[in-house]
Amino acid sequence: MVRAFKPADLTEALRLRKETACVPLAGGTDLMVKYRNWTGLPPAFPGDVLFLSHLKELQTLERRGETLRIGAGVPLADIAAWPETPAVLREAVRGIAAPAIRNVATLAGNVCNASPAGDGICALYALDARLELTSVDGTREVSILAFITGPGRTVLRRDELVTAVLVPRRAANIQVFRKVGTRKANALAKLSFAAVGEVKEGIVDAMALSFGAVGPTVVRSTETEKRMAGKTLAEVTALAPSIVEDYAALIVPIDDQRSTAAYRKTVALNLLKSFLEGLKEKVKGI
Amino acid sequence: MNKSDTLNETGISAPVRRVDAMEKLTGKARYISDYPFEGLLHARLLRSDRPRAKILGIEVPDLPAGYSYVDARDIPAGGRNGIRMITDDWPVFARDEVRFVGETLGLVVGPDREKVLEILSGIRVTYEELEPAFTIEEGLACKGGPIVGDDNLYGTYHLTKGDPEAAFRRAARVVEGTYRTGFQEHLYLEPQGMVGTWEDGKITLYASAQCPFYIRKSVAHTLGIPEPAVRVRQVTTGGAFGGKEHFPDVIATVLSVAVNKIRRPIRLVFERAEDIRFTCKRHPSRVTIRTALDEAGAIIGMDIDTVINAGGYTSSSLIVLQRAILHGIGVYNIPNVHIRGRAVATNTFPSDAFRGFGAPQGLFAIELHMSHLARELGMDPGSFKQKYFIKTGDTTITNTAMKDEIRLNEMFRKVDAMSGYRRKVKAYDDDPLKGIGIAFVNHGCGFTGNGEQEIIKAVAEMERLSDGRAALYVSTVEMGQGLQTVLRKIAARELDCGVDNIVYDNPDTDRVPDSGPTVASRSTMVVGYLVQQCARELKRRWGEGPGTRVRKQYRHPEGLTWDQDTLQGDAYPSYGWGVNVVEVAFDPVTYEVKTTGIWTVYDVGVPMDTRIVTGQAAGGGIQALGYAAMEVCEVVDGRFRQHTLTDYTIPTAMDFPSVACEFVENPYAYGPFGAKGAGELVFDAAAPAYADAVGHLIGRKIHEIPVTPEKIMEVLQDE
Ligand SMILES: Cc1cc2nc3c(=O)[nH]c(=O)nc-3n(C[C@H](O)[C@H](O)[C@H](O)COP(=O)(O)OP(=O)(O)OC[C@H]3O[C@@H](n4cnc5c(N)ncnc54)[C@H](O)[C@@H]3O)c2cc1C
Repeated sequence: MVRAFKPADLTEALRLRKETACVPLAGGTDLMVKYRNWTGLPPAFPGDVLFLSHLKELQTLERRGETLRIGAGVPLADIAAWPETPAVLREAVRGIAAPAIRNVATLAGNVCNASPAGDGICALYALDARLELTSVDGTREVSILAFITGPGRTVLRRDELVTAVLVPRRAANIQVFRKVGTRKANALAKLSFAAVGEVKEGIVDAMALSFGAVGPTVVRSTETEKRMAGKTLAEVTALAPSIVEDYAALIVPIDDQRSTAAYRKTVALNLLKSFLEGLKEKVKGI
Repeated sequence: MNKSDTLNETGISAPVRRVDAMEKLTGKARYISDYPFEGLLHARLLRSDRPRAKILGIEVPDLPAGYSYVDARDIPAGGRNGIRMITDDWPVFARDEVRFVGETLGLVVGPDREKVLEILSGIRVTYEELEPAFTIEEGLACKGGPIVGDDNLYGTYHLTKGDPEAAFRRAARVVEGTYRTGFQEHLYLEPQGMVGTWEDGKITLYASAQCPFYIRKSVAHTLGIPEPAVRVRQVTTGGAFGGKEHFPDVIATVLSVAVNKIRRPIRLVFERAEDIRFTCKRHPSRVTIRTALDEAGAIIGMDIDTVINAGGYTSSSLIVLQRAILHGIGVYNIPNVHIRGRAVATNTFPSDAFRGFGAPQGLFAIELHMSHLARELGMDPGSFKQKYFIKTGDTTITNTAMKDEIRLNEMFRKVDAMSGYRRKVKAYDDDPLKGIGIAFVNHGCGFTGNGEQEIIKAVAEMERLSDGRAALYVSTVEMGQGLQTVLRKIAARELDCGVDNIVYDNPDTDRVPDSGPTVASRSTMVVGYLVQQCARELKRRWGEGPGTRVRKQYRHPEGLTWDQDTLQGDAYPSYGWGVNVVEVAFDPVTYEVKTTGIWTVYDVGVPMDTRIVTGQAAGGGIQALGYAAMEVCEVVDGRFRQHTLTDYTIPTAMDFPSVACEFVENPYAYGPFGAKGAGELVFDAAAPAYADAVGHLIGRKIHEIPVTPEKIMEVLQDE
């Protein structure tokens, strides 16, 4: 018999998390699909369920110094509407599912689900986001890069909950998110591309690029990104072919029911190329 | 003339509020899953998970009290383990071999769903696997040995007009192309479902279905009892598109065997993923067209080879094939033609009816081929196609005079005015980011040939009720297409009363005559005409008082001939006609195509309600664009790979712009107020128009749908 827990507060939630082998459930938009059952039967959860989205402690959107703290229970719709939300994340979140889903689904759920096609995840990689993980024993922070270890796999411990997604506040006058979906709305990504960068007086200060759904986890290469740092836009444009080459070696997608490996790779590199070539135009407006 | 001049505001075409609008919008309408039944049992099918295998054994664990396992041994003496559709080769329960993944082996029935699932997972089936054939090519090559006969063909037809051999002998040039279409899932909103009960001493089925009398016939055949000993009650049906034409027979027969054994109400409703995985789809097709051109580049002959993938059993594949080849030269007068049509057996789920019933596949090939010919000859497809439009009196592919009055030239002018086709098709030749395509189609209304007369023999009845209203008794159903509104509107207009004064309940085979199935674009034209005649007579006899009942039977229009053995004569009593223009724009970075305009013009005789027909044009058009652009449905190891709503992607409102629709009025003498069929016509043209537009856009020939960004990339890289 599966039990369902509705804890009164975060402390109780953490205690339950420690004492039982329960599945945390936020919006349930991944879980209810994953454990769907014959209509008329309860979902086929493998263990007890811990409801989270009603917890006040997880409901806050706040700016703490140079960090944006997105509570693990905040629905995507609220994140999209928050003025502090970086443009790249806003764009990614707006492209997830449909309004009804965005009213209940959470960013923490998107991250914990750890699907290579998760749209929020791709943007969070480029933003150097971190996860705040809490257990009865305390809190730790892990970068999203270290948090997700493979499709559906994370380093979340069995007694921990994600309490917030932490996004560094940084100057970034370049923010691009592009999802190539199976259709124009309510669709999963065939691939996605995010870019976050700062260009000052024609010189690239920093540049972060990430590619979703083209490998077991989001592809990001700080090494290649470093090659762009400190360069003028003209130099970056000249470097474009060799940057594309770098990523060509890293992007190793698969064929599946949504697209082909060849398409994913070609289009990911096309998006990169067109981004690099269009950088000058983008910066002009700034 | 514009729309409002002809389809005047007080005429039959003027829209009324749909009679079912409020109950559906407010959630009051009850679908099969909403009906409570005392002592209801739940059921799940045990299905084969091998595409082709001998069944060595089925081991069922001991069942707790109140639970049953139902299989072929439960078919009563005198009954048959075959589902009566057109033939009965599809067994109710697989015999000693399975031919596709999802074939029914048995049914588990019981009061608790959890327990039913537990029993199901405890059943052990052992197989000896055989080598399966999945594609048209594998089927034709009899991979793994023939599944049926010695050539794997359910049937072959030939149509010949003129002397095609002589035409090819004297051809200056021959142009050839092979065109392919894929599976398409109906994706009606409400999945397949039925409840079987034992009521008043007879098997009674409450069904989400298009054809109550088809179900009655199959159940009677399987149980070996007279048809009137079975009662079928249609309940509000949440969409069908042909998917609830024959497939409900598959459910009804299994369920009836179970009800006959258990004598309790049993519900069998599919979950969505079950429904996508284990129900019929549209037939995939491969059509090769060779065209003989003379010195001047004029078409002097065509040779067409049409193959459809019928899957593991016949179902209605031969009739689908007939319609595919009867529409094989589209709206054109081609002098010398040979068409060969074949339906091949494979180890995929049997393909079956889907809006258009073969015509979309035949029309896709001819329309795209005509566009390709136009490009080869340096003309725009619209002008080229126009040169070959069939005219009244011209000889059809079945060697009789075309009797319809044809308004194609006027329709072309109209769609050109709406879309700017002629201007854009030239302008976009040099624009790498834009394209425009056009397709002309016709669609035979009603059953093929004299089927309405020989097979269906539709009957409609009306009665004056004691409360002053009039009741309509027909077996054709509302399934979202608007039929309840249209038939009530026709009757009300003849009786000079409001639509509310006509009673038209969901059909019940114990209460209504057999006016035929709700298929083949026949309900408005054929049944609507009978309703009109009933209403006229009832009006004359209104004075006879409550209880006055009138009855009308179908009579084939005078002067039509048909030979079903040779497929010669008047293939259909009449045709609907249409033209679609589709405009597209390109993203060269992602190979994604954005549709920027859809313009349609239809001749449906006289539209019975412009809002309903415009709705059909929008829905049918978008459904066809999904088929053309997005709905990938691959078979891997005999399983449909895209079997969830996430992966089987039908269009959303964001994917295509709204569909512009206008009509030319062209009253048909044997339709109510001049109406012809519209339901399938509106599906036929958008897919070839889209493929033509994408071809124009990328400057390459497109031969296959769905034409996804992945395919476009391949075509472009394939230099
Ligand atoms: C129709 C539909 C369309 C969709 N479209 C998209 C799309 O376009 N793009 C996309 O990326 N996703 C999409 N999704 C997936 C889903 O909506 C997102 O991944 C969503 O962000 C998940 O959030 P949730 O709160 O609903 O997660 P839940 O389903 O509640 O949980 C997801 C996972 O996270 C874990 N979890 C949740 N919260 C916590 C926590 N605080 N601590 C620890 N573990 C936790 C759960 O145990 C579970 O493993 C779609 C889903 C549906 C049903």
